Amino acid sequence: MRNKDLTFWLFLAPVILALGAVVVIPLLAGFFYSFTDWNGLTFNNFLGLEHYLRLLDDGRFLSSLWFTIQFSVVTVVLLNVFGLGLALLVTQKLKSSNLLRTIFFMPNLIGGLILGFIWQFIFIGVFSDLGDLLGIAGLDGWLTTGTTGFWGLVILTTWQLAGYIMIIYIAYLQSIPEELLEAAKVDGASPFQRFRNVTFPLVAPAFTISMFLTLSTSFKIYDQNLALTDGGPFNSTEMVAMNIVYTAFSSNEMAYGQAKAIIFFVFVAIIAVSQVYYNKKKEVEM
Amino acid sequence: MKKTKMTMMTLMAGAASLGLLAACGGDGNNGGNGEGSGDGEQITIDIFQGKVEFRDQFLEMAAQYEEENPNVQIEFGAVGGGSDYFTSLRSRFSSGDEPDVFSLAGPSELSDYQDYAEDVTDLAATDTALEGTLDGITVDDTVYGIPFNQEGYGFIYNKQVFEEAGINPDEILSYEDLEEAVQTLDSQKEELGIEGVFALPGSEAWVMGNHLANVYLAPEFNNDVMEAYESDTVQFERGDEMQRMLDLQNEYSIQPVLNMDYSQQVEQYFSLGDAAMIQQGDWIHPTLEQMDPEFAEENVGILPIPLEGEEGKVPVGVPNYWVINSQTDQEVIDAAKDFFDWMYASEEGIEVVQEQLNFIPAHENFEPENINSPLSRDIYEYSLEENTIGWIFLGYPTAWGDDFGAHVQEYLAGERDWEDVLEAGTQEWESSR
Repeated sequence: MRNKDLTFWLFLAPVILALGAVVVIPLLAGFFYSFTDWNGLTFNNFLGLEHYLRLLDDGRFLSSLWFTIQFSVVTVVLLNVFGLGLALLVTQKLKSSNLLRTIFFMPNLIGGLILGFIWQFIFIGVFSDLGDLLGIAGLDGWLTTGTTGFWGLVILTTWQLAGYIMIIYIAYLQSIPEELLEAAKVDGASPFQRFRNVTFPLVAPAFTISMFLTLSTSFKIYDQNLALTDGGPFNSTEMVAMNIVYTAFSSNEMAYGQAKAIIFFVFVAIIAVSQVYYNKKKEVEM
Repeated sequence: MKKTKMTMMTLMAGAASLGLLAACGGDGNNGGNGEGSGDGEQITIDIFQGKVEFRDQFLEMAAQYEEENPNVQIEFGAVGGGSDYFTSLRSRFSSGDEPDVFSLAGPSELSDYQDYAEDVTDLAATDTALEGTLDGITVDDTVYGIPFNQEGYGFIYNKQVFEEAGINPDEILSYEDLEEAVQTLDSQKEELGIEGVFALPGSEAWVMGNHLANVYLAPEFNNDVMEAYESDTVQFERGDEMQRMLDLQNEYSIQPVLNMDYSQQVEQYFSLGDAAMIQQGDWIHPTLEQMDPEFAEENVGILPIPLEGEEGKVPVGVPNYWVINSQTDQEVIDAAKDFFDWMYASEEGIEVVQEQLNFIPAHENFEPENINSPLSRDIYEYSLEENTIGWIFLGYPTAWGDDFGAHVQEYLAGERDWEDVLEAGTQEWESSR
C-alpha cells in the first residue's frame, strides 16, 4: 500500500500545521532567544552562552533544581508503591472493588490548583486543629518550613496521581493468567511468595511505564506547587517550572528564563527518550 | 469508482486544512487594535489593566460615556493580581494584539514600555493631578501616564476592640505608644475575645518586602520614587527600626505567621474580630464590606506606622497609571485622551468616578466627604494635610521587593539573622542596577 501520496499529506496537514505552530516553532524560537537579550518584545544583542554560564552560579535556580529532583525521586517511589498497593487491593474479590476504583481514581479528575488550595486548608487548618486536639506538636505549623512544604507537596501529588498509576497496574494484574497463580498455590507457595515470584515479574513492564510517567509528571509540576506553597516560605519549595515563570515574568528576564526552560526541556527530554528506549528494548526481548 | 473516492478524500482533506488555516488567519485579524472601523465613525478604545476590583463599576461608567459619545466604544479587559496582569500584557504586546490603553505601576515598568507610551503632559487629566502624583511616570519633564487614584496603608484597627481595651488611637504616635497599646491589648486578650493583637501574613512577601520596608526606606530616598529608581545602592539607614517593628508584629501576631496569607489575614482573622489590627491598606474595604457591611463602615480605622521623626504619616502613593499606546491610530489616541479628560477633569466625570469607583482621588476638585469607604476618607485627609510618606517601592529594582520579602521570611523562620537579611538586600539591589 502506497501511503505517501497527496491524500496522505493533506490529511496530515492539519496536525502538522497545528503542531508546528504551537510546538515546533516556539521551541526553535525559544532556543534562539535564549542566546540573546530578548525582553519579550525586542532583542538587541546576541549574547552567546552568557545566560547558560550564569545558570551555573544561580543559587536559586540550582536549589530549585535540586528540590525538584528530590521531590521527583520521593514521589516516584511513593506513587508506584501506592499505585501498586491500591491496584492489588481492588483486584481482590471484594464487593466494593468497583466503588473503590472510582474513589481512588477520583482525585485525578480534580485540577491541581483546586487540590492545592484544598490541601493548603487541610495542612494549615485541619492539621493544626488535630494537633491541638491530640497534643501532637508535629502537626502544627505545616507549610511554614521547607521540610513540611516538601512533604506537603509529596502527599498532595501522591494522593492525586496514585489512582492513575493504579489503573495501569490493574490492567497488567488482570492480564496475569489465573492458572499460574493457582499452580503456585497448589505447589504450596505462600501469598507473599506468589506475589514475589509470579505476580511481580509479570507486572514488571508496568513499572517501566509508570516510572517514566510519574518521573516526567512530577518533574514538570507547577499548578500544585503554585496553589499549595507558592514556593514559600522563602522560596524553599520552589520547583524548576515555577522558577522559570518567576524569572521570565516577575524579574522580566525573558531570555534568561528561556535559557532555564531549555535546560529544563533537556532534562525532561532525557527522561522521555530513555523511556522510549527501554520500552523498545523490552519489545524486542519479548 | 475508486478514483472518485480518492478525489473526494483529497477534497475533504484539503477543506479541513483550509478551514484550519482560515481559523488561524481570522484570529490574527480580529485581535487588532480596534481599528476595524477605518471610516472614522466608530472608534473602539481597547483598555487593558490590572485591577479587577472595580471592573463592573468601570463598565457602568464607560457605558455612560458611550451614551454621550455614540461614536466611541470602550472595551475593557481586566486581569487580576500584579504579576498575572503583567504576563498577559507582555504576551499581548509580543503577539501584536496590543491594547490602546494599558496600566503601568511606576518607573520600572515604564522603562520596558517607553517606546509605546504616549506623551500626555498637556492633558487636563494630568494638569489637575495632585502634587507629586505624577512623579513616578515622568521622564525628563514629559508625563507618560495618568494616575488612577491613590492608595495608602498602615495599621488598620478594630475600633470596638480598641475602645473596650480603653485605648485612644489618636494618642498613638510614636513606636513606644504603639508598643504600650499592643501590650495592653495582649494582656486583655481573653476579655476582648481576640486571638492575637496582630495578624502578620508571613507568606505574603510583598507585605514585608514592599510595604513594611517602604516605610523605613523612604527617608533614605527623600520620599522620592525616582530617587529610589535611580539609586545604585540601598543602605538600610533605618534597618534597626524596621527590625523592631517586624519583631513587634511577629511576637504579638496570631501564630504561625509563615503560612498565613492575605485572605486569612483580612477575612478570617481581621474581619471576624480575631485580630485587633493588621498592616494593610484601604484596598481591603470591598472585602470587608462583603464580609460585613456594618463592620466595614463603622468599625475600622487606620493608624500610621510609626517612623522616628516622621510620626503620624501614612504611606500614600499611586498604584497604577493609565498609559496610552502611542503606536495605535491617531484617532484612537485622541479619543482615549478625551475619555480620560472627561473622567478626571470634567464635572460630570468626577461625579461618576466618586460615586462609582470609590477611589481616593489623585486629582483636584474631588470632595473627600463623598468617598464611601471610611478608610479611604481617612487616607485622603492625610494626603490633603500632606502627612504622607512616598511609595518608593515602585522604584525598587524589578522583583527586588519579593526577594527581600523572602529574606525577611527567612529571618522570621530563624534561618538568617537580621544583619544578613539587610546585607543580602543591599547586595541584590546593587547587582540588579
